[in-house]
Amino acid sequence: MGLAVYIGKRLVRLVLSLIAVSILTFTLLQLAPGNFADLQRVNSGATNFGGVGTESMVGELETRYGADVPVWKQYLIFMKGAVVWDFGPSYKYASRNVQDIIAEAFPVSATLALLAVLLALLIAVPVGVFAALRQNSKTDHGTMFVVTLGHALPSYLSAAFMILLFSATLKLLPSGGWNGPKDLILPVLALSLGPAAVLARYVRSSMLETLREEYVTAAIAKGGPRRTVIVRHALRNSLIPLVTVAGPLLAALMTGTVFVEALLRIPGLGLYFANAAASRDMPLLMGTALFFALILMVTNLAVDLIYRFLDPRIRTVGGVSDDGH
Amino acid sequence: MTATEGISAAAGESEQAERAARGPLARAWSRFRKHRLAFGSLIFCSLLIITAIAAPLIAPYGYEETDIQHKLAGPGSEGHLLGTDLLGRDILSRLIYGLQTALTVAFGAELTALVLALAIGLLAGYLGGRVESLLMAFTDVMYAFPSYLFAVVMVTVLGRSIFALVVAIGIASWVTQARLVRAQVMTIKEREYVEAARSMGAKGSTIAIRYILPNAIGPILVTTSFAIPAAIAAEAGLALLGLGVQPPTPSWGAMISEGSRYLLAAPHMLVAPAVLFALTLLAFTWIGDGVRDAFDPSGEQR
Repeated sequence: MGLAVYIGKRLVRLVLSLIAVSILTFTLLQLAPGNFADLQRVNSGATNFGGVGTESMVGELETRYGADVPVWKQYLIFMKGAVVWDFGPSYKYASRNVQDIIAEAFPVSATLALLAVLLALLIAVPVGVFAALRQNSKTDHGTMFVVTLGHALPSYLSAAFMILLFSATLKLLPSGGWNGPKDLILPVLALSLGPAAVLARYVRSSMLETLREEYVTAAIAKGGPRRTVIVRHALRNSLIPLVTVAGPLLAALMTGTVFVEALLRIPGLGLYFANAAASRDMPLLMGTALFFALILMVTNLAVDLIYRFLDPRIRTVGGVSDDGH
Repeated sequence: MTATEGISAAAGESEQAERAARGPLARAWSRFRKHRLAFGSLIFCSLLIITAIAAPLIAPYGYEETDIQHKLAGPGSEGHLLGTDLLGRDILSRLIYGLQTALTVAFGAELTALVLALAIGLLAGYLGGRVESLLMAFTDVMYAFPSYLFAVVMVTVLGRSIFALVVAIGIASWVTQARLVRAQVMTIKEREYVEAARSMGAKGSTIAIRYILPNAIGPILVTTSFAIPAAIAAEAGLALLGLGVQPPTPSWGAMISEGSRYLLAAPHMLVAPAVLFALTLLAFTWIGDGVRDAFDPSGEQR
């Protein structure tokens, strides 16, 4: 099967999945009890703007989406906007359009996620190689035990321990907010631990496998320096399988940003998504949810394509492979 | 005869003869018991479960009870072992009731997910044909839906109650398990003993429940035991976002988020829930490790 056909098939499936997700989200949210205006009346004054403008604005939005129009038509109106990247104004942040909020908040989350991936790789590769070279020793078991800890704890819990250590005890770093580069340190560190643990485990087992390969034995037999053999022959080849975990890993990272941003009060996409859900800001909730889904699906597609490129054997298997979750 | 009795009986007598007689579950259990970390975790988690059930008897105060004279009291102050929070509520008591919330939601959600996954996975895997394509198409759509997005949407729809969280987290996590069940069923249904049962005229439902399910139970138990800590983390995570149970019902996630806000004035508000939460997650994860090794002794050790 040609690459173009494969990509085409995957793109069609991506679009269908997105439509399914949007229908499901939209339908479910229609069933949600209570709307933004109700919540405003209950705790008026609690958010940026008091109850004054709310009534007229919600009325305005109701005419725009048409509360008198049947639900399926409301959905179509929403999707028409979504396709041309126009989700309309947010309820909560009344002066701003949802797409502008996304455009502003996404780079924040993406920065966190990308830096976390980089840091995770910087931690995981040496740790994994180190453990593999000392297989079954005490150091190996000890390292892998620490790795299990990193894997079992969600990133927001790591973030909680870090603010206890670095902010409350050592008073070195701010305990949240988003004012300068210093604020990047804790969230990136907290987000990277989970992925670092997963990656270290993969690097270790993949390294163990390649170390047993004949070409490594041959390189050693020919008298190559140990370090060169390990880096050039073993490590290089054992990094390819890492790409397969990249998909699920990035998905987990995006999930992690939501909670870490909420805990550390960082104005990223995750914080807006959570706030939208808590305040029933439907346009913002729909917009951010769809955007998150899109990012995850595109990431998975990209990972699959890269993997096919790196390991040509997969091409002969053909068919549409499963995307990771 | 229960599984435990079976094993203690077996230990005394000739192992070889007994081994053949014991089912896969009993064999896994004897392997699990030798896994020290996992077995210790099982004891710890059993204590947690008992504490959660007996919360009103064990907790020194009610979770809403305020001690106005001792707001933000530090740990070890009189009457409050772990101190009090902003409103003067006893943190130890709130942790114990928070444990109740966490475990109720986690076990409820996993039960929901398991029932859904078994029903859909068994049906799809066994019936095949059009039913299978239909069910699997549905599963694929759900698989494309990032599970935490779905949980957030579901909580928004259902409101902030224990029931809503059970449904939201359960529905958000059944998909992976359903796919696993189906894959298991597909391989097992080709085996000879299933063929034999079919040729002797056993009904489809009998084959699914009597022959396929018991042999698929290992991998299913493994994913389920890893799904429990994940569900505990999901409950706390939703609470962290302000989408957990309605206050004043305590949840560890809400306590962590509150603690982080008063970090400098009262770090003990964050320390206690964070440490207990971490220990609980680790213990449940180690049980999962033990279960995995027990069913797959040839697999990786850790």
